[in-house]
Amino acid sequence: MEYDIIEKVVELAVAEHELEGKLVKAAELIAYSFGFDRCEFYLWDEGKQVFTLKAHFGGDSNHKIYAQDEGIPGAVKAQKGVFEAQSLDELEEKGVTDRDMEGFRSVYALPLHDRHNFYGILSLKSRKRLALSIKRRHIIRIVALELSWAIRYDELIRNHQKIHSDLAEIQKKFANAEKLLALGDMAATLAHEIRNPLISIGGFAGRLKKQLGPDTKGALYLDRINIEVSRLQKIMDGITGFLKDSALELRSNDINEVIEECLKIFNPDFRSYGIRVIKDFHKGPLHIMADREQLKIAFDNLIANAVQSMEKNGGSLIIATALSGDLVTISIADNGGGIDPRYLGYIFNPFFTTKEHGTGLGLPITNSIVNRHKGVIEVENNAGVGVTFTVKLPRAEAKLPVVLLTDKIAESGPGKFR
Amino acid sequence: MKKRILVVDDEEGLRLLYKEELEDEGWEVELAASGEESLEKLESDSIDLVLLDIKMPGMDGVEVLRRVKERWKDLPVILCTAYPHYKHDFGTWASDAYVIKSSDLTELKQTIRDILGKKE
Repeated sequence: MEYDIIEKVVELAVAEHELEGKLVKAAELIAYSFGFDRCEFYLWDEGKQVFTLKAHFGGDSNHKIYAQDEGIPGAVKAQKGVFEAQSLDELEEKGVTDRDMEGFRSVYALPLHDRHNFYGILSLKSRKRLALSIKRRHIIRIVALELSWAIRYDELIRNHQKIHSDLAEIQKKFANAEKLLALGDMAATLAHEIRNPLISIGGFAGRLKKQLGPDTKGALYLDRINIEVSRLQKIMDGITGFLKDSALELRSNDINEVIEECLKIFNPDFRSYGIRVIKDFHKGPLHIMADREQLKIAFDNLIANAVQSMEKNGGSLIIATALSGDLVTISIADNGGGIDPRYLGYIFNPFFTTKEHGTGLGLPITNSIVNRHKGVIEVENNAGVGVTFTVKLPRAEAKLPVVLLTDKIAESGPGKFR
Repeated sequence: MKKRILVVDDEEGLRLLYKEELEDEGWEVELAASGEESLEKLESDSIDLVLLDIKMPGMDGVEVLRRVKERWKDLPVILCTAYPHYKHDFGTWASDAYVIKSSDLTELKQTIRDILGKKE
């Protein structure tokens, strides 16, 4: 009869239930079979270094969390084996205080563990003095071992599921990156093939215009050709600039200064669209190691996007810089209506645009520049209201300007014009 | 005496454009469609300045630049390319100037004037 419980617990352990349900059922079984008034499972949380009550039977435990050296769970963990007390006096003698013993007289508690891991404790409490036979102790130990396996099994399943979903996520990202790479290769080839003929077209259009004279109708058409050619050239510049890894000229730069410079270019736009600029800059310089020109391109793109979103109705552009730990953060917030949530997943993809004359390269270029400076961009979109882009860059360790080797070589070349 | 410029580019349209534009400025222009051809021209003709495309099939501009500077140390070479990133290439800093290709040749012409003017 007493051995029945072993079989029942084995059945329970291998069943397809949630761990908590299994433990509650087991608690009930153990309490009934051996005449305990309460049965509790406190599981060990390795991360937080505490015991948490996972399941219990028989009255409510008011102590849900134990520190690692506290009370009966702490005592079991400390001696790595069975802890028992036949009375509160004995408990006190053993130097253990446990508020949750109120109303009880005796306790029998044992670890849930296997050879490598400690999972927690099983605590059995009784209002009476309880004499456990050797046989019963044996059975309880076997039951505890079975339940340890159930806990281990649950842990493995959980890990397995996590790895599985992580892997699926990585695969998705990888497939996306591969697609972008192929797209990038194609774009680079195209850009190169288009560039030279474009220069020819533009150049000869210029010559033709000279021949026709300035006030002819033909000159007007040629002006149009030139405008379109320079637009295409700009797009090609964007693509090649985005795809080709030009060497970064890293120097110590004060980000506040860089942002101020970027903002200056937009002053006419701010005025004509009625955009209020609110600056919340970190007091004092914020140095980062960066290629100043590249960084300006990155922030120009972000500011231009914000400005474009507020072109019609005006609004506020809030630019804040701050230092948080080892990161310098720059946030650019607008209230130009935000990004349609349907498109949010695509905004960093090259050639994705919602604008009539957009190239779809602004954000990808910004993202690529920020990444190459070992930074990240975060987007907080409030659809219908506005969007905040936050750029986080590592702060410079040394405040002295450091120059890359390539710069020295470049500057030592004779007669530099560019 | 008119200064003579050798234009090296594999694009026929660009060669023609450079030729016409530079001749308008009063320079004589010789053309070469490849790196190999440019070296032959340099052996036989007297040239005052080389305008050199970097990306060409066969011998590329960087290689031509190396050979030119080995043989004719004082012959000025302007590198012309579509990409600004060559600026940091180890092979290119021996050139006298670096110009990014554009349909607007104003900058290129100014650069040529500066270099030819300096030589006199």
